[in-house]
Amino acid sequence: MKLAPFLGCMIPIKYPQMEAAFRRSMPNLGVELVDLEGFTCCPDPIYFKARDALGWLTIAARNLSIAEEAGLPLVTLCSGCTATLKEARFLLGEDEELRARVNERLARIGREYRGTASVEHAVVVIRDEIGMDAVRESVKRPLEGMSVAIHYGCHLLKPSQIMHVDDADYPSILEDLVTAVGATPVAHQEELLCCGKGCLDDEMPVEMVYSIFSSIRNSEADCMGLICPTCFSSFDLGQIVVGRKKGVKFEIPIIYFFQLLGLAQGLPLEDVGLHLHKVKADDIVARLPSPA
Amino acid sequence: MPADKSPEPESDERVVLSFELRREIDQIIGGNHHNYCYQCGACVAQCPAARFSDRFNPRLIMLDLLLGRADKLLAADSPIWLCTNCYSCYERCPQDVRPVEVIIALKNLAGRKGVAPDSVSLLTRNILKTGYSGVVTPVVHKTREKLGLDPLPEPPVDEMLELLDSGSDERDASAGPREEKTRERSHGETPAGNASQRRKK
Ligand code: SF4
Ligand code: SF4
Repeated sequence: MKLAPFLGCMIPIKYPQMEAAFRRSMPNLGVELVDLEGFTCCPDPIYFKARDALGWLTIAARNLSIAEEAGLPLVTLCSGCTATLKEARFLLGEDEELRARVNERLARIGREYRGTASVEHAVVVIRDEIGMDAVRESVKRPLEGMSVAIHYGCHLLKPSQIMHVDDADYPSILEDLVTAVGATPVAHQEELLCCGKGCLDDEMPVEMVYSIFSSIRNSEADCMGLICPTCFSSFDLGQIVVGRKKGVKFEIPIIYFFQLLGLAQGLPLEDVGLHLHKVKADDIVARLPSPA
Repeated sequence: MPADKSPEPESDERVVLSFELRREIDQIIGGNHHNYCYQCGACVAQCPAARFSDRFNPRLIMLDLLLGRADKLLAADSPIWLCTNCYSCYERCPQDVRPVEVIIALKNLAGRKGVAPDSVSLLTRNILKTGYSGVVTPVVHKTREKLGLDPLPEPPVDEMLELLDSGSDERDASAGPREEKTRERSHGETPAGNASQRRKK
């Protein structure tokens, strides 16, 4: 299966380890990644959209038109990119007048949005197209004994009438994926709470991160598993900062799903870039059985 | 009396209804779903900003919009910036009001009026300058190289800028779309299917 990755900004710049894990683990699922040229920031669904809604939509449409031209499905690695590109698709699909206005602008650069390329987060493509069996078959070192507190984040699931990924209140996609790589998903009270990154306040995100990490600590999970670099940016260094403010110490490694997948496929810790995280996962990785 | 966060107009304060703000929001959103808010509060139940701050309540933001309280909603200390953009309210609202989209539209208006916080303008400016939301430092290149990744692609920034309104204020990221015609959006798959049917022309 050929897929065009849409990497966005945060992953290639701030967390290239996520890109490395993705690029190294996807081929083991029978996927050929075809990199297309000319993408820009999706653009950002929070700040950019809050600044210029129509500009936001048009830039997103331009990105989508690149995949249309190549005739390839887009696969996203970041919940924010997923939100922007899927919402753009939704809005342009339901409103012809809006599409005409966007296409008027795209014509300035000789492009057109037609709505022919699909876009989904990579975990959704795995569940719906590639299949959980391919994941299980790619596993050489099941992550046995590793308990993973899931963090869904908001934009993979909501609004469900646009995202169509899972039940927004009782999702299971990440639990299923974590199970497929041999680890044990751990439910916890705050697994659906927002990471707080979009909030422009000093206090509130601190309280939100504190709530999430207190909840994970109660669950006694070994680590947190997630799929969004924005959430990661709230949590990796964030738990240390928040812990300091609150006088507690959290030491919960944050692991991106494709890092879990890579580890389970037998890739060494450095290849999936876990050594770059502030909260180290060495201990829990050392407890894993060696690759078969 | 049970505690109620509803703003009781003080006895000598008259609330003057203004449609100006609503009209501006209609234009940005391209619809007027917000007029159908019946103040039920379902959007508050799962709102993290309401849970973690006494200053924030999406139902009251909707009420202020309907009353036309631009003075509150577009003030420098407006509560709109506390919204985390989590979309829970969009999910919950039985009237398909999409409070978060209203809040985003209010942020667009605040930007035009020059009262948006610096961090918003900063991120937008990054994107318009480099095509990336973040700053690309030499460390980025080195880390990528060490991980065995290809060099960072250079996004075609000029092409992207061509797409923004030629009224230069969008190019320097200080404004949203202007002169947009008000339109209602139709949409097939809403949870409040009947409500949206009603609104279709
Ligand atoms: S849930 Fe919808 S109708 Fe109810 S108060 Fe919130 S915005 Fe208004
Ligand atoms: S998007 Fe904003 S208003 Fe809506 S539930 Fe989330 S924080 Fe509250």
